[in-house]
Amino acid sequence: MTKSTVLLLSLLLAASAGLSLCLGSFPTPPLEVLGALTAPQNSDITFIIWELRLPRIALAILVGAALAMAGAILQSIVRNPLASPDVIGITSGAALAAVLFLALLSTHFSLHWLPFAAMLGALISALLVISLSWKNGINPSRLVLVGIGLAAATGAGTTLLIVISDDAAAMTAYVWLTGSLYAAQWKDVEGILPWLLVPVPICLAFARHADAMALGDSVAEGLGVPILRSRMILLACSVALAGAAVAFAGGLSFVGLIAPHLAARLVGRNMARLVPASALVGALIVLYADLLGRVAFLPKDLPAGIFVAGIGAPFFVYLLHRTRRQR
Amino acid sequence: MLRCVLLAACATLAYAIAEASEEQPTTPARIVTLYQGATDSAVALGITPIGVVDSWLEKPMYHYLRDALTNVEHVGLETQPNLEKIAWLAPDLVVASDFRHARVAPLLSAIATTVTAPNVFGFRTTLTMIANATGREAQASELLQRWDARVADFRQQIAAQMGNEWPQKVAVIRFKSDHVRIYTSGFAGSILDELGFEQPDTLQTQGWGMKLSSTENIPALDADVIFVLLEPDDAAIANNYRHWSSHPLWQQLSAVQNQRVYEAEPVSWMMGGGILAANAMLDELYSHYGLTQPLPRQACRALAATSVEQTTC
Repeated sequence: MTKSTVLLLSLLLAASAGLSLCLGSFPTPPLEVLGALTAPQNSDITFIIWELRLPRIALAILVGAALAMAGAILQSIVRNPLASPDVIGITSGAALAAVLFLALLSTHFSLHWLPFAAMLGALISALLVISLSWKNGINPSRLVLVGIGLAAATGAGTTLLIVISDDAAAMTAYVWLTGSLYAAQWKDVEGILPWLLVPVPICLAFARHADAMALGDSVAEGLGVPILRSRMILLACSVALAGAAVAFAGGLSFVGLIAPHLAARLVGRNMARLVPASALVGALIVLYADLLGRVAFLPKDLPAGIFVAGIGAPFFVYLLHRTRRQR
Repeated sequence: MLRCVLLAACATLAYAIAEASEEQPTTPARIVTLYQGATDSAVALGITPIGVVDSWLEKPMYHYLRDALTNVEHVGLETQPNLEKIAWLAPDLVVASDFRHARVAPLLSAIATTVTAPNVFGFRTTLTMIANATGREAQASELLQRWDARVADFRQQIAAQMGNEWPQKVAVIRFKSDHVRIYTSGFAGSILDELGFEQPDTLQTQGWGMKLSSTENIPALDADVIFVLLEPDDAAIANNYRHWSSHPLWQQLSAVQNQRVYEAEPVSWMMGGGILAANAMLDELYSHYGLTQPLPRQACRALAATSVEQTTC
């Protein structure tokens, strides 16, 4: 069922993107949307479809996919189902850097640098987590514990910065921390794309190593897997994916944790299938969260982050319930 | 309540004056304002925007602007205005602020001509900017001249009344449910500065101001006069105010001992952010200090208070 599941998820994602493209401040009939897509010059809603809805939908899909894949990779290399980019400090490192930028540097530098700041934060905190937990290689449980500690410390730093910065910067920081796809533009889509195009093939190439490591280090070693190298490469992929997502959409939490679990319940823990399935599930979650933010409380446009947990959690409970009954 | 009525009356009045003295054909007619001060200023210039953002208090729109803005579309929050809604409204001018809307500026410019102010509280900048974009320079300079005359009058009267005690050091304090903020710059700060008030020594190096979360910090609030901003419908804020103001340290503040703590209207002192709000804030200051207002303004208030037909005033 797994191959068909991935296909089904892809179809569902395409249909959802289509639905999202038809909904907004005013619902647009699908034919009109199609008209604007195929013949932009003849349509009076071209701007709304091409410049407002489409880039936002594209970014939602990419960000959701990146976070979910980052989570799936991380969960498999540290062999801990509770690991996710938010839990081990990558997201919070990025958040601290972003808030630091908003509070102290945004008067001197253009906001276009914000993604770079966030990315740098993600990278620094990943390096910190790795070096602090290093002891003859990377021990997964040490990695998680150090990561949780670092996440708490950077979280405290973020709170402190928000408290000492003025109201307006604090408000921007709050919106950013919630995670939002508001005002996504094509340049954001172009900006995030390389960060997915590079790590995804690498991580798929190392999928077998990850599967072997999931059986335990000694088994993996017996199977001839260069544990340290594979683990470092996969970790780097995870950091790049999570860092990119956070850089372009802010602190969308929960997707990286829950999407891989949802995907695993659908296709199993085999990495070559889990990664694409997670990507699709993550994309769906963020896409619907943003759709809700856009249309549920009109005329307000709310950050997608508010709805991510609200959408992910019920699905998760439903899946848990279903698999329990099957047993 | 009375204050609200007055504010509303004066807003309508400014609107009526601007409307009446309108001669040249209005260039951009469909205007969307994306921050509070822009909405206030547009109304002051006699413009009815086709789209505005939600107000911070008295949601969805401040009472003093409601009469002028009946049936106007709302385009969401100032921090995250709904771009699609704005695009549907097909405006020919969008008034935004770099400070809030830098990220969406390219999209706004693609929707319509966009003018931006560097911050959201510079009411003069906002007013002249909107006036220039809509060909209402004359109205704007009239409004600003009237403002300057009022400021000059206030400065003269208060200096005469206070004598040696002038200039006073002033603290503007806003109570929230779990902390207290003291503002040094921004809307109220710049106006108080213009009026000749000074800042307490403790605050001069503090940038925008401070957040105080413990009553231990009360001495930092010491000033000759304190203006307290509360939010009328929030019980938690009222409670916190009661808690702080009953503290022994509060009782030792010189403004408290001299009975110079005044409650001020947060909408006119902070949220409105435009020339109408600035004038309302100045009205409050006149009445707190028991100063007499120059005639035209007073006539308007008297008429409005007795609810004589507003258009005659």
